[in-house]
Amino acid sequence: MASRTVSRPALRKKAVTTLLYAALALFAVWVLFPFWFLVNNSFMTPEEAVAVPPHWIPEEPTLGNYSAILAGKVAPGGAEVGLRVLTALGESLAVGVLTVMVNLALGGTAAYSMSRYKYRGSRFAYLAVLFARLVPAIAIVAAFFVALRDLGLINSRYGLVIVYTSFTLPITILVLKNYFDGLPRELDEAALVDGASRLQALWYVIRPIARPGFIAAACLVFLESWGEFFYALTLTNQLTIPPVLAGFRGFFQFNWTTLAAATVLAVVPPVLLALIFQRYVVRGLAQGVAK
Amino acid sequence: MVSSVGAGSTAGAKALPRPASAMSDRTFGLVLALPAIISLILVVGIPGVQTLVYSFQRVPLSDDPATFVGTDNYAKVLGDESFVESLVVTLQYTAGYVVLATVLGLLFALLLDQPLRGRGIARALLIIPWATPVIIAGVMWKWLIDPQVGGLNAVLFELGVLEDYKPFLADREWALVFTILAAGWHQASFSALLFLASLQTLPNEIVEAAKVDGATAWQRFRGVVFPWIRPMLLVVVVINVIYGVLQFDTVWVMTQGGPGDATTLLPILLYRQLFIFSDIGAGSALAVMLGVVAVLVSSIALILLGRDNPLEA
Repeated sequence: MASRTVSRPALRKKAVTTLLYAALALFAVWVLFPFWFLVNNSFMTPEEAVAVPPHWIPEEPTLGNYSAILAGKVAPGGAEVGLRVLTALGESLAVGVLTVMVNLALGGTAAYSMSRYKYRGSRFAYLAVLFARLVPAIAIVAAFFVALRDLGLINSRYGLVIVYTSFTLPITILVLKNYFDGLPRELDEAALVDGASRLQALWYVIRPIARPGFIAAACLVFLESWGEFFYALTLTNQLTIPPVLAGFRGFFQFNWTTLAAATVLAVVPPVLLALIFQRYVVRGLAQGVAK
Repeated sequence: MVSSVGAGSTAGAKALPRPASAMSDRTFGLVLALPAIISLILVVGIPGVQTLVYSFQRVPLSDDPATFVGTDNYAKVLGDESFVESLVVTLQYTAGYVVLATVLGLLFALLLDQPLRGRGIARALLIIPWATPVIIAGVMWKWLIDPQVGGLNAVLFELGVLEDYKPFLADREWALVFTILAAGWHQASFSALLFLASLQTLPNEIVEAAKVDGATAWQRFRGVVFPWIRPMLLVVVVINVIYGVLQFDTVWVMTQGGPGDATTLLPILLYRQLFIFSDIGAGSALAVMLGVVAVLVSSIALILLGRDNPLEA
């Protein structure tokens, strides 16, 4: 239509495209600059990290920070950061995996029930889940603190799993119920007609088909658990990795480059998980978290 | 298989075919849901009620029984000067955080919705700050802006913006700005992921039709795109407001509330009441108030949204 005046719209379009790519570059810098700084420093000696002007790439790259952590040793420069990192990473992994397992077992059955069955109070149960989703973790920490202290579960991974279930289980139920709602009821009915029991229909028919929903829920729960700081700070003595990383404050008390390596090790698992299961995670996020 | 179902399901269209077990469907549904419901009562319901009870009690550290003190704890919290200061800081923090996370998130989503080369990689990049735990974002930014090892000081110095390396976190205003920035860095990605999910449900034909009608990009945004994502905007703003008011992680790791009380948000105050002053009663009163605000804000939003799910619109 307007193709008679080719030059001006074309020029305009080119300018817009250039602007968009410039914005894209800025976006990449926004995301990556903090990471680049972190990773860069994790391969430096403590002396090189304080060089002025700073080195944008390590001139004498070293694996010393990582090897100290992995060996559970005091890092070069005398920092004690390395001592606790490996155990804390292990605890974080254990807490995350256990929390995911509890969530899938409890949340899977409950979500299936809420998607398929009606009983007296089923509407109320669903609303209760929504309400539980809204209660902020920080608001109920006092009760957890006293209860875990009385139960002897302070500084225990099982204590953390119990506490983490309080804010992850509602997410799991909402994500999975949403997923089950999208599966046709004819699937269950066909299984029952074929002679399966209701539990068998859930286990052998629905569970395999609902795998993407389970993956989404598992990823979200693991990410929440892995990064949880407030409860880990208040209910344990630096058991998991977040309070360990946050515990090193003053520059002169420890070795920043070793902390950088520890932080890299702590950030790789959740980022990898989210990237690998990108599709599932984003859909689960939109359906279960935003609702 | 399909044909056999067809034969059976004419009779069983209303009720599921009778299984062998004697349990009714109603009972079965309840039994399936019960473990989760009991768990939620144990880990959310009871702690919630317990916190409410504590907020009206003086709770000794020893095993001595707690004593009822009426609304003393609330009066104590509300009457404290530091509460008012903290409330002001929290509101400033939340305002900055919500604007940063929401506006940047919307811009990122609109950008990554364009048919650009490298969009797939950019969308993968978008996930990374969100997948980075908030606490780790705090650690990264703390050291990024550190005057001894920090990269940001160097960049700004080389660009001529700074005359000297600056210990940002020792300055009241800058401390607030950078604790907002660190948390916003994480949260802008979260907002963008939700906006993008909403944008992707917008039927292409509508946008194309607007283009054919000669609408400019701005007109298309105002007339078509913005109305479409408005329900999601409400969701995102509400979540960001709540996360702003409840922000703890980045502030704790970067400034611990300082310098002075410049970044002492209400959750930091709550932490001090509970774990520094060991005042479980006053801490619980503050916790109850924070919890009520969070639940109220999101309930109002849920009601405003009605039954509309922004993703199924």
